[in-house]
Amino acid sequence: MAKGLELLEKLCQAFGPTSCEYEVADIICAELEGKYDEHTVDFIGNHIFRIKGTSDKKLMFSAHMDEVGLMLSSIDENGYIYFQPVGGFDIKVLCGRKLFVGDYGKEKISGLIASKAIHQQSHEERGRATPIDRMYIDIGAKSKEDAEKYVSVGDYAVFDSDFVRFGDGMIKGKAIDDRLGCAVLCDIVNYIHENKIKPDFDLYFCFTVREEVGRSGASITANRIRPDMAIVLEATAVADIAGTPDYKRVAKTGSGPAVSYMDNGTSYLPEMTNFVMDLGKKHDIPCQLKQYVSGGNDAGHIHKASGGVKTAAISCPTRYIHSASCVFNEADYDSMYRLAREAALCPVNETPLK
Amino acid sequence: MINDLKTIMRIQGISSREGKIGAKLTEIIKPYVDEVSTDPLGNVIAVKRGSAKEPKKIMLCAHMDEIGFVVNYIQDNGLVRVSRVGGINYVAAAFTRVVFENGVKGVIVPEGKTDPKDYTPEKFYIDLGVKTKRDAERKVKIGDACALESTCVKLGGQKYTGRPFDDRIGCYVLTEAAKQIKNPENDVYYVFSVQEEVGCRGSYAASFTVRPDIGIAVDVTPSGDVVGAGTNLCVKLGGGAAVKVKDSSVMCDHKLVSDLVSIAKEKDIPYQMEVLTYGGTDTCSMQTVAGGSRAGCISVPVRFCHTQNEIIDMDDVDACVKLTVAACEAVL
Repeated sequence: MAKGLELLEKLCQAFGPTSCEYEVADIICAELEGKYDEHTVDFIGNHIFRIKGTSDKKLMFSAHMDEVGLMLSSIDENGYIYFQPVGGFDIKVLCGRKLFVGDYGKEKISGLIASKAIHQQSHEERGRATPIDRMYIDIGAKSKEDAEKYVSVGDYAVFDSDFVRFGDGMIKGKAIDDRLGCAVLCDIVNYIHENKIKPDFDLYFCFTVREEVGRSGASITANRIRPDMAIVLEATAVADIAGTPDYKRVAKTGSGPAVSYMDNGTSYLPEMTNFVMDLGKKHDIPCQLKQYVSGGNDAGHIHKASGGVKTAAISCPTRYIHSASCVFNEADYDSMYRLAREAALCPVNETPLK
Repeated sequence: MINDLKTIMRIQGISSREGKIGAKLTEIIKPYVDEVSTDPLGNVIAVKRGSAKEPKKIMLCAHMDEIGFVVNYIQDNGLVRVSRVGGINYVAAAFTRVVFENGVKGVIVPEGKTDPKDYTPEKFYIDLGVKTKRDAERKVKIGDACALESTCVKLGGQKYTGRPFDDRIGCYVLTEAAKQIKNPENDVYYVFSVQEEVGCRGSYAASFTVRPDIGIAVDVTPSGDVVGAGTNLCVKLGGGAAVKVKDSSVMCDHKLVSDLVSIAKEKDIPYQMEVLTYGGTDTCSMQTVAGGSRAGCISVPVRFCHTQNEIIDMDDVDACVKLTVAACEAVL
């Protein structure tokens, strides 16, 4: 397994729901130790690693550290725990899932989302998704008092899901969105460090918080750095799955990273989309346009921050995104890393800033 | 006068593709301002410096972009699937012509036998008159944008129909105002913004750059004098410049609204009040970005907004120009 994928496995296993990204940040800080010129952590938890360039043009790379999760909202007399989603969930993916429950600095305990056995379901309940207020987390506690020894209201839960290779170069795991982007950024920093490269761009590698809820991390970071150009690294839904007509397809796994021209948060400037697609062509790196207009990412806040920033987004096609088992293709990771690396090392006068 | 308006309506500029219309507006406004520049997103920002010792900044803002469609898939049989850019009225758009940036034309149609009440973006495709995917790809590619085709035609009185009056009519008001505002006390910024139709994104960036004390958007507002409009739309075509009190994106600055009304009364400019229960304008960005500003909006009434046959009354436009000029010359 490539070094980046080993790091990605570690990052995916970390406990980092929105606004509790500390464990992810700890891994990233350890990985990048001594490989940058400047490291800043802001008040909200964004980590910014700067590698100085030969020009004064700032290029901001951004990947978010947070993952979708749950927040514990009440504990009943039996020790069953009710919860609210943190980030966008299809509630159908929750029933029966194994979870890690806890908070940063606390020991994580196992739990699962209970679901009524089919034997006990009424005729109306069968075949229907259980509404979220009727689902609860079972941590095996005897009572409310017992449960409160381990968890408290305000704690989080994330999926307990292994990082597994299967099939033809496919990998499944939780939190691929967007630990994959974080791993790609670390890979680029490692490459620059190992090869002692002096980039033309003044590079800012930003690991942001709170993308899944409100995107405030990216907004704050972009206003702080005031970049000339920004590239967001993400995981995107693909819809190359059963039951989706071709024209609603977003991207195809195995065909390289998807470059956005439009999503619900950003209308990318054609010059930025073309810049990234042309880089792929020039360096013989597979890439594709993200086709169906849907979703959004940190670019939505970055491009209109600080008086306007020319922004692109490169995403790894990921099936079953926001579920316990996100699936991506190893080759797509490699292509995404190479494409983003070429963008980072591109001379300023060969970009839309010329 | 109308020819100047027709010139800026003919140039296509779908959200995030405003380069050409931006260049034209730069050329038009240049002789009447001290500086003009284009920001990273394509917003055109022009400024006429004021004579006061400590001038305030008044930001006038009209958006250059228009709604349209973007290609997201080309089928094997050459038919083109599109997503909408901004608030498309699909009932109006069905079976009409579209034109791409490169001049390629097509017809946008719903899938056969679709009832108009079931019109959703996914049900529509563009027929370019080609037989294969390869032929279609010679004309357009994924990510290309197109808009509804239309020409500007005179109707009764001072009324004209065409598109996109939303919001080239606002751009026109700004250029006409610039010709008349010769020695302002305050700095007057003329901002032609990008990407309003997809969420006021351009003005968000431009407001950060300008940091106005007072922000006035000039945009269109739906006119309520159409059959079946209901009682909630108070603005009428021919009723003068509409002074916005609210829409669903903003509650305008109370003092600015009453100042605009006093100015209109004093200068005998026809005006009407606008209270809109939906919609949004660049006013919202100017009000909140970078410390915020006192923000309001002067609206041009328009019938059938976001269709290929919007209708405006040039007498209203004239009133909007007068009110804009008077507001910039007054001490607000």
